[in-house]
Amino acid sequence: MDDNQNMTEPAASPAWGAPFAKRAWAELRYALVTLPLSIAAVVFIVPMLYNGILWAASADGVWKLGAASRSLARKLLGEDVPASPRPRSTAGHKVRTKDGARLETVVKEAGGTARVWEGQPGVTVRRLPPSRIAELAAAAGITIDEMQPRNAWLNWMDGRATDRVTWRARAYFGLKLPLAVVGLVVAAVCWLGGLYYLTAPVWWSLGLHSTLGFRITTLGFAFGLCPLGVALLATGPGLLHGVTNVDCWLIRSLLGPSSPAERIRALKESRASVVEDAAARLRSIERDLHDGAQAQLVALSMKLGLARDKLQDDGQVDLARVTGLVEDAHRGILEAIIDLRTLARGIHPPVLDQGLADALATLATRSAVPVELVTDIPERPSDAIETMAYFSAAELLTNVAKHSGARHATLEAVHVPGLLRVRVTDDGLGGARQVPGGGLCGLADRVRAVDGRVDIDSPRGGPTTVTVELPSRA
Amino acid sequence: MRIVIAEDAAVIRAGLTEILTDRGHEIVAAVGDAEALKDAVTAYQPDVAIVDVRMPPSHTDEGLRAAIAIRRDHPGVGILVFSQYIETRYAADLLAGRSGGVGYLLKDRVANVAEFTDAITRIAAGGTALDPEVVSGLLSASRHASTLGALTTREQDVLALMAEGRSNSAIADRIFVSERAVEKHISNIFTKLALPPSDSDHRRVLAVLAYLGT
Repeated sequence: MDDNQNMTEPAASPAWGAPFAKRAWAELRYALVTLPLSIAAVVFIVPMLYNGILWAASADGVWKLGAASRSLARKLLGEDVPASPRPRSTAGHKVRTKDGARLETVVKEAGGTARVWEGQPGVTVRRLPPSRIAELAAAAGITIDEMQPRNAWLNWMDGRATDRVTWRARAYFGLKLPLAVVGLVVAAVCWLGGLYYLTAPVWWSLGLHSTLGFRITTLGFAFGLCPLGVALLATGPGLLHGVTNVDCWLIRSLLGPSSPAERIRALKESRASVVEDAAARLRSIERDLHDGAQAQLVALSMKLGLARDKLQDDGQVDLARVTGLVEDAHRGILEAIIDLRTLARGIHPPVLDQGLADALATLATRSAVPVELVTDIPERPSDAIETMAYFSAAELLTNVAKHSGARHATLEAVHVPGLLRVRVTDDGLGGARQVPGGGLCGLADRVRAVDGRVDIDSPRGGPTTVTVELPSRA
Repeated sequence: MRIVIAEDAAVIRAGLTEILTDRGHEIVAAVGDAEALKDAVTAYQPDVAIVDVRMPPSHTDEGLRAAIAIRRDHPGVGILVFSQYIETRYAADLLAGRSGGVGYLLKDRVANVAEFTDAITRIAAGGTALDPEVVSGLLSASRHASTLGALTTREQDVLALMAEGRSNSAIADRIFVSERAVEKHISNIFTKLALPPSDSDHRRVLAVLAYLGT
């Protein structure tokens, strides 16, 4: 048939098979699924364009629509676009200083924005952390009298209303809607039309003589339409592929972190969260040691100290008392050992050295909720990724036990070259979501830091599925 | 003695209560945070309050801050700050202003029950009990490092023991010399550091700490 169509799609099977090739079906499915999403997105976005407050209010929703589009493109088309950074509050600080004008200059040179106050000496500085502002001021010899964070609500508004990522996503949906309509028309004409013309003799014999633009007068004419049907069926996949390609290009350029600056911003954000997270982890380990094993050992030293003194007492040794003290001390030692073991496992579970599958099996058996484990890890990912996958799974299972009220959970870990997917499903109450400062948010931050992603699907009433995808190597 | 204990780890609280009760002291209150400590001190006016540095809610230095407040508001109450770490800055804060009736010990020291109860007795009597680690921290952080360098090794040992709050006879026992020899060392130290001569143990410690702290 038409070789040109095949040339646009070198990977496709021969022309006759084209309408039924896997890729063609995937693209057809994609065209059908994304149309309602695009309509919903435009219906959501357009009324929200009214003013700045609504821009800010809709920013997170727009980001999620973008995330849904990326996720559909990845699942149906294999088009893997890295996530764009989420809308964030802009850091804003009110700095009281007499050198307002000079501070404004150094802040702008450092990539922040600054506005000198009218009437009183000071500057509002945006887009720079306080430590950086202090550093810049110190380097320029500017005395800062007082620095206060701006109203959190203003930071929230400012960050979201002016977020470039969100505006690019809005542009995407503006372009995507007409494109989706074109895709649907192509799909309808080529597949439905093609099938209709191909089967025209059947319709003619059933007495349907007039439809879809042609008045079918004779059986011969009906047979004459068959090649048209074939042609439509054969060109459909190619046309749709073209439409899909345009869409993929739009997704890459408008929904991904396209500019290097944005990529750098996303990396900076993830680096900051990783550093904070590591510091918090160390703090919590120190706290656990201080309140756990260390306290146990101090108490132990008291018991044994007292017992020794009792044994050295002149005169009668109170054996019962000494025995009691030693028994207490013995119990204390066992508790300290358990404490230390739990803590050590929290830092690095030794079984992880045997591979992720074994480690997850141990984890699954320790869970309070019965866990069914499915692993398919033919090749080991790198150490850091294994560790991250393990702790992600541990955290998700803890969430299941703590919050979901589930009676049963499934833990899946599948490694295909390049991608490790860990998925925890439970039959609990659902309604799990990321809240700033919450566990899932922290998990997502850590995973994002190695260019992974977390998908949460948790309608109210359940079931909940949380998927963590990590690259094989960090 | 009547003692108040403020310590958030239940095992240590229980252990301290056991040891001190065993030695014939009366634990009038054992509490788990700084606010409860201040209330207990106001209510019972104990001889000594044993205070953990890190307590809820922030687990940083609320115990120390409570100790400083108690020293200000209840001068008659001896304070033993009790911690798993020694921070020289905390020691300096604690000793600032009025010395005496104060101590700062690592929690490990409690393993030697006799020395521990001795330290508490000393504090109740208006003396000091500083952990050797506190003293070495103060010595090395002292701005008078060069002058301290002029002391002989033996004199430095005596100075450290003196700063811990020990009496002449205790120092003599520690370093296996006669009390006369200790007195000789001490007078040498005072001369070398240009400190005014002083007779009582307590005034002597004050002089040393003031020297180290400034």
